[in-house]
Amino acid sequence: MFLKKSPWIIHYDGSSCNGCDIEVLACLTPLFDVERFGIINTGNPKHADIFLITGSVNEQNKEIIQNIYCQMPDPKVVVAIGICACSGGIFAECYNVLGGVAKVIPVDVFVPGCAARPESIIDGVVKGLAVLEEKGKKFKNMKKGLATLSIDPAQIQDSAEILALQKAAYQSEAELYNDFSLSPLNQSLEEIKADFKSKIFLKAVLNKVIVGSVRAYQEKETCHIGRLIVHPLYQNWGIGTKLLYAIEARFPNAVRYESFTGHKSKRTLYFGRKRGYRECRREKVSLKRERVFFEKTREGKAR
Amino acid sequence: MHLFDVRGNFHFCLMKTLYLFILYLIGAPLVGAWLAGWDRRLSARLQSRVGPPILQPVYDVLKLTQKENMVVRRSQNFYIAYYLIFVIFTGALFFTGQDMLLIIFSLMLASVFFVLAGFKASSPYSFIGAQRELVQIMAYEPAVIFAAIGMYMVTGTFEVSKLAQTNHWLILSLPGIFFAYLFILAMKLRKSPFDISTSHHGHQEVVKGITTEFSGKALAMIEVAHWYETTFILGIVYLFFAKSVVAGLSAALAAYVFMVFVDNAFARVKWPLALASSWIVAFLCGAGNMIWLFFTRH
Ligand code: SF4
Repeated sequence: MFLKKSPWIIHYDGSSCNGCDIEVLACLTPLFDVERFGIINTGNPKHADIFLITGSVNEQNKEIIQNIYCQMPDPKVVVAIGICACSGGIFAECYNVLGGVAKVIPVDVFVPGCAARPESIIDGVVKGLAVLEEKGKKFKNMKKGLATLSIDPAQIQDSAEILALQKAAYQSEAELYNDFSLSPLNQSLEEIKADFKSKIFLKAVLNKVIVGSVRAYQEKETCHIGRLIVHPLYQNWGIGTKLLYAIEARFPNAVRYESFTGHKSKRTLYFGRKRGYRECRREKVSLKRERVFFEKTREGKAR
Repeated sequence: MHLFDVRGNFHFCLMKTLYLFILYLIGAPLVGAWLAGWDRRLSARLQSRVGPPILQPVYDVLKLTQKENMVVRRSQNFYIAYYLIFVIFTGALFFTGQDMLLIIFSLMLASVFFVLAGFKASSPYSFIGAQRELVQIMAYEPAVIFAAIGMYMVTGTFEVSKLAQTNHWLILSLPGIFFAYLFILAMKLRKSPFDISTSHHGHQEVVKGITTEFSGKALAMIEVAHWYETTFILGIVYLFFAKSVVAGLSAALAAYVFMVFVDNAFARVKWPLALASSWIVAFLCGAGNMIWLFFTRH
């Protein structure tokens, strides 16, 4: 594994007093020279492996921290530096301070101190490397762990994760039609939460990560299945099929199952056909897009 | 072309080309990575740091292959794959001794794929980076073409295989062109003062410029392409000193070390200055050199 040989860092300053920031930057100077270990300060979340945060989290920067975290490719590690980032420190009581970084994203290593000394920051990063390595193995094990894939009803707390997944999964669709106004890409958290009231949600969980989801509701005899999504990384692993069969099984008194996709989405159409669905009608939704509906009756035979 | 040069020896020539190609395919990235490792070590020493191990660039690339490949749009990786393929192709043409003009066009095509990838990723940073990369292509192209034409004027051939065996000290006839080429070397090697589209150091005004949106394997491919490119770019430096192999190799190495020093000594410039200065140097020294050749040779 080479993850620990070239950890690239992104450093974010929450509401720190700048004491810890200076110490982080001191690590890059000739005296401490972390580049010895291949550590580079990239300043770009998409290139980074380790997320160093100094200072506490407040109402304003909480979204920024989440955003940076989400933009980092897996496997990744978060190191909270300074007592402020660990628990809020002396700012913990302030009206706008939420507390430590762990309030908004999962933290792997805590480096206490006020300010944390460069030596302990380096120690913290080195500890982080072990975690990184561990996570790297896990990432690899995703495929191996496929046997443990579980399909459960999703809870309303999962909505943020499912929404993020949905946006990732529909990216290729939007590109296909060159239409980024697709509703799945623009759904808000509130809307998806509202969906929970009217529909049954299923999630596919692999190594504690939600990798796929589907939702459906019944109207008269017809079960409408929608938003069957699988994370782009884990497609073609059979997760979609499992989700589809699981959601069908949830509606035992439905006579007909119906779903739709865009007319250019050949892969989805092929997927449906392979699983017993037949095209039944088409509907124009915009100049660019046509909806293709497909259906399956209970015996698995098209009407 | 050069397959048919040796009469009746077609087969031998083909085999030789094939061997050269395989040697290049394996050797070029190794040379590029090794140079990149020394670059980082040397830069660190210039800043009185210890610096990373020489193999660090290799570790970086191997690590990148283990990371998730996050994309804004999936097709951006497609362009990067083509960028890599065409960079390899360009170098392959060069090291198997084909036509210089073809090589320049192929290099151009590779860069265009890179720019397209940057545009496709469509973040503000990669967008600006891609635009700057276009400016950079515009800036270095004259000097590269002058190098090819200048070599042709002296030796009467565009073919690298013949240029490599010439008995002229090309550098003596083409000092101006060599200077112009050295000037744009910083652009091709992505070094200060001309690392305007992206660079090896983060924390810039455009983050990582054109490479900002690439991660995982795509970024690894960009790195590997850069190794191939480095080797190829230095190969052209070699041609100026091709009369003696030792002189050629040491000149190529010296040029690289010189670039590392330049990288550490200069801050980056704005793009108008990069464009203007490289054109002024190309047309003043490069074209001047050619005019001088024209009048002394004919
Ligand atoms: S831990 Fe201390 S030095 Fe660091 S940011 Fe907080 S108050 Fe400043």
